[in-house]
Amino acid sequence: MTQLSRRFLPILLILPTLYFVFMFTVRPTYKVLNDSQEYYYPSRPDRVRPTDLQLPGIEEAPRSLRGPHDVGWAYYRALFDPDTREGETFRQVMSNTTQYVLITVPISILLAFVFAVLINRPLRGIGLARMAFFYPTMLPLVSAATIWIFFFTPEYGIWNTALRFFGYHGAENWVINPNLALYSLMIVAIWKNAGYFMIFYLAGLQNLPDDVFEAADLDGANWVQKMVYVTFPLLRRTTLFVSVIAILSAFQNIDHALVMTYELATGEADLLLYEVYQQRFEFRNYGFANTLTVIMILILLTLTFTNFVLSERRGE
Amino acid sequence: MYRKNLLILALLISLIVPAGLVTAQDGEKTVVEIYFPIAVDSPITEILNGYAETFEAAHPDVDVVFSFEGAYGDVKTKLLNTIEGGGDRPALAIMLATDIYDLRNADAIQSWDAYATEDYLADFAPTWMTNSYYDFDGDGEGELYGLPFQRSTVLLYYNQTMLEENGLAAPTTWEELATTAQALTTDSRWGILVPNSWPYWVFQPFAAGAGQNIVSESDVDVYFDEQGIIDALQYWLDLFQVYGATPEGVQNNWGDAPGAFTDGNAAMIVHSTGSLPGILGRAEFEVGVSALPGREGGFYTVTGGGNLYLVEGIDDATAAAAWEFVQWLTMPEQTIDWSIQTGYINTRVSGFELEAWQTYVAENPQAAQAAATIDVAVREFSVQDLGEVRNIFHAEILNVLNGAATPAEAMEAAQTGADEILSIYR
Repeated sequence: MTQLSRRFLPILLILPTLYFVFMFTVRPTYKVLNDSQEYYYPSRPDRVRPTDLQLPGIEEAPRSLRGPHDVGWAYYRALFDPDTREGETFRQVMSNTTQYVLITVPISILLAFVFAVLINRPLRGIGLARMAFFYPTMLPLVSAATIWIFFFTPEYGIWNTALRFFGYHGAENWVINPNLALYSLMIVAIWKNAGYFMIFYLAGLQNLPDDVFEAADLDGANWVQKMVYVTFPLLRRTTLFVSVIAILSAFQNIDHALVMTYELATGEADLLLYEVYQQRFEFRNYGFANTLTVIMILILLTLTFTNFVLSERRGE
Repeated sequence: MYRKNLLILALLISLIVPAGLVTAQDGEKTVVEIYFPIAVDSPITEILNGYAETFEAAHPDVDVVFSFEGAYGDVKTKLLNTIEGGGDRPALAIMLATDIYDLRNADAIQSWDAYATEDYLADFAPTWMTNSYYDFDGDGEGELYGLPFQRSTVLLYYNQTMLEENGLAAPTTWEELATTAQALTTDSRWGILVPNSWPYWVFQPFAAGAGQNIVSESDVDVYFDEQGIIDALQYWLDLFQVYGATPEGVQNNWGDAPGAFTDGNAAMIVHSTGSLPGILGRAEFEVGVSALPGREGGFYTVTGGGNLYLVEGIDDATAAAAWEFVQWLTMPEQTIDWSIQTGYINTRVSGFELEAWQTYVAENPQAAQAAATIDVAVREFSVQDLGEVRNIFHAEILNVLNGAATPAEAMEAAQTGADEILSIYR
């Protein structure tokens, strides 16, 4: 092999990968960043009117209502201007998404840990219990949501029946009530994800060394102390990993919203990705949809980067 | 090795090319593809494929292909994406009558004016044509874009047997509707269910009953803050606050209402005419239907459903073949058959005289009563930027039902929000 081919062969070998990374990651990201600086509204007529396009910082001038017009960073300014419709939508969507992440992630992780501890025992029929906890994971999110729509049915649905048994007498139609719809999405996500995260904890638990537990027993630690001071700390890398995939999936999964809360015409249950879909495909407000996509990419990049830094450091 | 690969390539090409030629020969038939939504639980696909076969038998040069795309929204999304992505366009699509502005603005549909003659149009009930015209070119006269096909109205369904047992008559005013519902409410049964998961449509008959529709003929005006609208919303509140005849707040789901009615858990429901065959099939009591009573009497309802649209950018031969099929599909014989099989209301006036219809309504008088409501139907809510304006209106209605705002406050906010969007067009 010549000197030249030895130098270029590695580059040649990663070229296909680079090509796909460029075509399907770099290029779309660049395009969406570019398009987020453009007003384009194809469901509006191509009719010239004196208008400021209802965007902050854009002067009134005769323009086509459809566009495209270069508006610079106007959509980004609008996001943080609560007087604009974009700003109001963004505030609501971010508030919904934050609540969704802050509630579903810790609860599903905690449940996953508890389930894992519960079924990590050599009992008869434990396979059945494992199966029961893991079963929601095997369902596609759409099917899970369909099942839950039935659970949430007012009057005779199992969820409302159970709640009434415990003395709840409030509104019952979870998926279409603006005050409850977001919680209905959270409930489905937790139900669906806890079993999945449990698998990671279960794997982690089974790899724990016995000697530390023997040492803890010798020191007279009780079950709770062992959990809190030995098991959970030893599983910290699992917890970190699970947290990251939990947060990412909380941003990425909207299937259940499409099935359950699509009838809710108001924004009380709109998550970030769902809003991108709505703006892009229902209202056809392309500029705003692209801007929201950029925000989403930024959030996910930050999360991924943080995870990378944290896990690299712990790996040392 | 190289030569072997070349051989394989040559073999592959020789396999593909004749296949292509065969397709080209088939292509002599003009293909009319139609995007179609499935919006009611009738065997839509069987019925339509049957229509296609019948039509093709008489027109061997045309190949009618139905492409079933899910709900109305899915058809619209798919059509717009196909056009934007440069894919093969269908010739026709059934989409909501109210989507006319969005679709024309997006250059997705073209006018029927070159095809539809006055004679042909005269036989459509005028009520169905209220969302069919749009003056896109600004010459002061609307162009025809939507041809009525699967159309419906909002009905009041009541349990006639239950009314009679309680010595009650079918309600004819708001007051009677509320007191009847109240009298029929028990611990295990609601007097009336008005689904409010998609509220504007079932709300419009109440608004009209108070003398004020939420829209006019214009595509840029809404009348949310008029007193009639506020009164109609207050009446919705009264139904649970004063009469206790319906669940409190935002409660009723569109899909659950017919089941609640046929199971006897609701004495009356407000629902689409499209649910009529299902309800008649399942109910083990006598079902009564009417339009919604008005505040001071009279009956009111609103149009709904989908129109046939001719897609923009198809070649002339395809458009001509599509027009042939549309003419055939909208013949009274077909519209009546479609109506009987699906519960949609027949769109052609002369269809009601056909024997098939007369026989059908002799057995199902409710179908005739449902069809009669087209005389009192107002124009369905449709304006520019419909999705966003409708969202604003819906949000405020739900606010009122949830007790977060009074009807007057909410409707003022809705009007302000809608005007902000619509002002761009004025």
